[in-house]
Amino acid sequence: MSLQLKAGLLITGTIVILGLLAPWIAPHPWDTISMRTRFLAPNATYWLGTDEFGRDVLSRLLMGTRLSLAMGVSATLVSLAIGVPIGLAAGYFRGRIDEILMRAADVLMAVPPIMLGLLVLAVTPPALWKTALAVGFVYVPPIARVARAVTLSLANEEFIQAAKARAESTPYILFREILPNAWPPLIVEASLRVTYAILLGSALSFLGLGAQPPSSDWGLMISEARSFIDRAPWIALAPGFAMCALVIGINLLGDGARERLDPRLKARIGKA
Amino acid sequence: MLKIEGLTVRYRTPGGVVEALTDISLEAPKGKTLAIVGESGSGKSTVALAAMGLLPAEAGRPEGRILFDGADVLAMDDAQKRALRGARIGLVFQDPFSVLNPSLRIGDQVGEGLVHHRGYTREKAFARAVELLDEVGILKPEAIARAYPHELSGGMRQRALIAGAIASEPDLLILDEPTTALDVTIEAQILDLLETIRARRGLTMVFISHNLGLVRRVADRVAVLYAGQVVEEGAAEAVLHRSMHPYAKGLLAAIPRLGRKQLRLAAIPGRLPDLRKPPAGCRFEPRCPFAGPESCAPQVLRTVGDRQVRCARAEIVKDMAWPATAIDPVAAENAAPRSDEPVVVAANLSKRFVLSQGLVFEGWRPRLRAVTTTAVDDISLDVAAGEVVGLVGESGSGKTTLGRTILRLAEPNAGEIRIAGEVITGKPQKALEGMRRTAQIVFQNPDSSLNPRKTIGELIARPIVRFGLAPKGEVAAKVRALLDLVRLPAHYADRYAHQMSGGEKQRVGIARALATEPRFIVCDEPVSALDVSVQAAIVNLLADLRDRLGVAYLFISHDISVVAHLADRIAVMNRGKIVEIGKAAEIMNNPQHPYTIRLLSAVPTVDGPRHPRAAEPQP
Amino acid sequence: MAAYIARRLLFVVLVLVAVSMLVFGATALLPANVAYLILGQFASPEQVKALELKLGLTDPVYVQYWRWASGILRGDLGESTLMNRPIGPLLWDAISKSLILTLVSFVCIAVIGVGLGVVAALRHGRALDHGVSIATYLGIAIPEFFWAIVVILVFAAWLGWLPSAGYEPLSAGFATWAKHLVAPVMTLVFGHLAHVSRLTRSSMIEVMQSPYVTAARAKGLPERVIVLHHALRNALLPTITVLALDFGRLMGGIVVVETVFAYPGLGRLIVFSIQNRDLPTLQASILVVAAIYALANLIADLLYARLNPKIRFGRNVA
Repeated sequence: MSLQLKAGLLITGTIVILGLLAPWIAPHPWDTISMRTRFLAPNATYWLGTDEFGRDVLSRLLMGTRLSLAMGVSATLVSLAIGVPIGLAAGYFRGRIDEILMRAADVLMAVPPIMLGLLVLAVTPPALWKTALAVGFVYVPPIARVARAVTLSLANEEFIQAAKARAESTPYILFREILPNAWPPLIVEASLRVTYAILLGSALSFLGLGAQPPSSDWGLMISEARSFIDRAPWIALAPGFAMCALVIGINLLGDGARERLDPRLKARIGKA
Repeated sequence: MLKIEGLTVRYRTPGGVVEALTDISLEAPKGKTLAIVGESGSGKSTVALAAMGLLPAEAGRPEGRILFDGADVLAMDDAQKRALRGARIGLVFQDPFSVLNPSLRIGDQVGEGLVHHRGYTREKAFARAVELLDEVGILKPEAIARAYPHELSGGMRQRALIAGAIASEPDLLILDEPTTALDVTIEAQILDLLETIRARRGLTMVFISHNLGLVRRVADRVAVLYAGQVVEEGAAEAVLHRSMHPYAKGLLAAIPRLGRKQLRLAAIPGRLPDLRKPPAGCRFEPRCPFAGPESCAPQVLRTVGDRQVRCARAEIVKDMAWPATAIDPVAAENAAPRSDEPVVVAANLSKRFVLSQGLVFEGWRPRLRAVTTTAVDDISLDVAAGEVVGLVGESGSGKTTLGRTILRLAEPNAGEIRIAGEVITGKPQKALEGMRRTAQIVFQNPDSSLNPRKTIGELIARPIVRFGLAPKGEVAAKVRALLDLVRLPAHYADRYAHQMSGGEKQRVGIARALATEPRFIVCDEPVSALDVSVQAAIVNLLADLRDRLGVAYLFISHDISVVAHLADRIAVMNRGKIVEIGKAAEIMNNPQHPYTIRLLSAVPTVDGPRHPRAAEPQP
Repeated sequence: MAAYIARRLLFVVLVLVAVSMLVFGATALLPANVAYLILGQFASPEQVKALELKLGLTDPVYVQYWRWASGILRGDLGESTLMNRPIGPLLWDAISKSLILTLVSFVCIAVIGVGLGVVAALRHGRALDHGVSIATYLGIAIPEFFWAIVVILVFAAWLGWLPSAGYEPLSAGFATWAKHLVAPVMTLVFGHLAHVSRLTRSSMIEVMQSPYVTAARAKGLPERVIVLHHALRNALLPTITVLALDFGRLMGGIVVVETVFAYPGLGRLIVFSIQNRDLPTLQASILVVAAIYALANLIADLLYARLNPKIRFGRNVA
């Protein structure tokens, strides 16, 4: 196992476990307001200090982990569920279908992702699940493009010709011959998208179009802490560094996984 | 001129340290051509890189000495090496398609050595480049000098690279498989060109190749490399016609010879040793039919008669012939009866491809205009049951398209195809079930033809399951039988493609095609990606299977000697048309069409003569 | 080449038409009552009805779209529902301020990012390369809004070198103007540098290992010539496309950065119009962003074609 993969597993694994166990391991209630404990700097009782409502930053951070993970994973699942079939179809059938689908993707990609998200969220009352859906929708085109590129190159492989030469059905070729080989690049791309989704989702929350107070979403925490940045920087820094660690962990995992998942790449390294 | 002494090169890889070259000693005397021969993995290209001081960083510092004109290249600093490269040693690479910089003009690339070694101005270097392009036989050299690489054909690019290599008038030219990416007729032209230049300029050449016929044509001296060691070295004629080392014997026996029809080719069993832990004794011992007790000790390169041989038993083995391969006795006994009834009949078949489609303005009116090419142009062809029809042609002749069109893997634009009596044209793909069982295909590239995510067992079982050819419980037994048929051990069923060698993968491809019990198989360049010794074994296997199962082949290849060995009839294809078709012996001995004659005369053979020497200029 | 430019231009126009439909459709088709949104939840049904009539919301969607789109073609971007002022001048003012921000940032990103990438690639596998790689990982992982907080904390709160927010016009003096620009530019550069340097590095490494660079070495050329003459040009070709993409990402980045630094540009206008349910302003702003982005892509495509002989000359000599 490469160093990258190990580090990625360690960081991501720790954060996921902390997030899952958050309600049980959080030292304090995450949403109890207490005016007596406002703006306490990190100390023995409140390891990461308290915020403007006297809530424990560490406990809020731990609870926020779940929101970030849920945002990243659910949005990416939405993109994969829509993007992969589109990409497979475009890459395999080529011709007009390909043309239409990819031009549609071009149009969506002509608007920066955050604005596309804003557009979707502009007319409905904000809620975290809507943000996740919007983020997932925004990242459909890049996923579809990767799926298409992989399918295009695989469709030229001789084993696809061999499948046609024994009269295999199109669904069999798409899902049993092509898709298993398309997974490695798709997983790498998806891991990248999980981090993008976490960052975009938190940016939308930061702008007030995602999670709403008193939620402990990291983006929202940073947004709320902005006004007290010179007085109590720890309120903003803690979720910022947490997000940074999570994104780095997932990126390392994705890069490390790419080398492991591709048997041909592995064979090439072994032979060289 | 170039003298290599005790060169050892090791590569650090994630899998361990690979010893690519072990104690290589070679000499290229002034004005002569030394050929280095070997199969893939022999280390022959590493010799070229080492001599140029261009080994990649993973190679570390090699042991030994590489003396050029008495000075050790390995001991030089970067500036000294640079002064040597390009100026006194020129290098021509294998693949002319990736070696030219895509964003620089040909003339600049040919002349740039002069700018740095001779202090020419850019304009003067460009003017000289035009002269050099003219010298290497390029028509319209001024236009080509201003062109970019993508505008040139493969043969033209290789000429341009040769022009760049000789620009600074080097004393030594190293050629690493200079014609492997080219068609035979182009190859013959490049060889003529190299001989002319060599004679005119009194060059010393090191010619690296896997093709023994080619080596016969150009070399004065030959060194045979196996697993990073020189196993035999001597005068070309001696090594190629009276080889002493068992590996050299095997290699020569494995080549199909034009005009000498054997029933089966000789083949070298087994595979290259793992160079991460090379065997202590003779590296060829596991594959050697002549091995004796002495073979377990490390072998040294020693002088035997007129040459050097790395074999303790050289004196004993010297006059022995490589054992001939017997015809599979089962195949011989059960030889299926042949008949003249055709299994495939294709009539007036045509296939066009749309190269590009674009809007064109005719006056003010936009029109959609397509640029098309006719890959298969009104071809009629039939294959009798149990017959092997060879299809030869150069790249772009349309032979692969013809093979795929016959199986309707590409849709014909016109014509009729019958397979086993059934008309298969004009039907939807869904109605082709019967034909798909009767007719199968084996592909060229063993890396691409097997799905890397499936085990060999799954790959071979799929056609059986797909067509319901065996009850569920018997599929595994059937897979084992098929593996046995292509001479692979049963436990290979659990392996993945990347765990096997090229030859083994090709056997799996054949087993998969045989799983439907077809009567006709299109073999699309099935041995082109393989080394000579492996190629022989696959060709033999195909011959055995034909005899045993009575299956007919359309055997497609660019290598006419392989085709001639296996085929009953040969069809020669050029630019989408079959220009000549007839009995194999007739085509080979008495070709009628000018293109066939040109193709046959271009093939370099081991038994043929050395290239006629161009007149050397008097000093 | 002329045909190529014409084709690309046509494509840009088509994309913009499609984006305008998307922008209009997203706000028109999503299940929401626009008049209700504008008036707030305590509006009476009569008030809602009156506003709907005034805004033409009772017409079929395609009629509404045509009214909007044909207005834009005439140069009429509509009226802001919040400020009851024409959107045009409002938007132009915001765009000019945002373009200053993005262009300055873009130049910094291109120069520093490509430079770092090339230097790291040439020192492939050594300490400097590893340093750049680690910094890149960090850069990609930190969102802009966190960079903004860090910049404010360090340069405004602790060091006191820069104002923490706001914008001053050039008429207030160059130094004042520039000072207010530094923090947002720094934030954008930090947030986007990693992407460019990472891709430049990998493309440069690939080119340095390509057969034609080995061939250039075999000609005995000095390393400087190999890097500058043979490698750089080919390595930068894919970077051009990436830079255009990054310009688009920068246009996205201004939304957050302008909000944090209270910089009165396009990004803040967009957030402001969302918060105040000013749909016409939102639609016009996003359309303008798409147009700028499409233009950047067009320039990149043309530059790519200019530098790539395969596109520049479609002819075949041989």
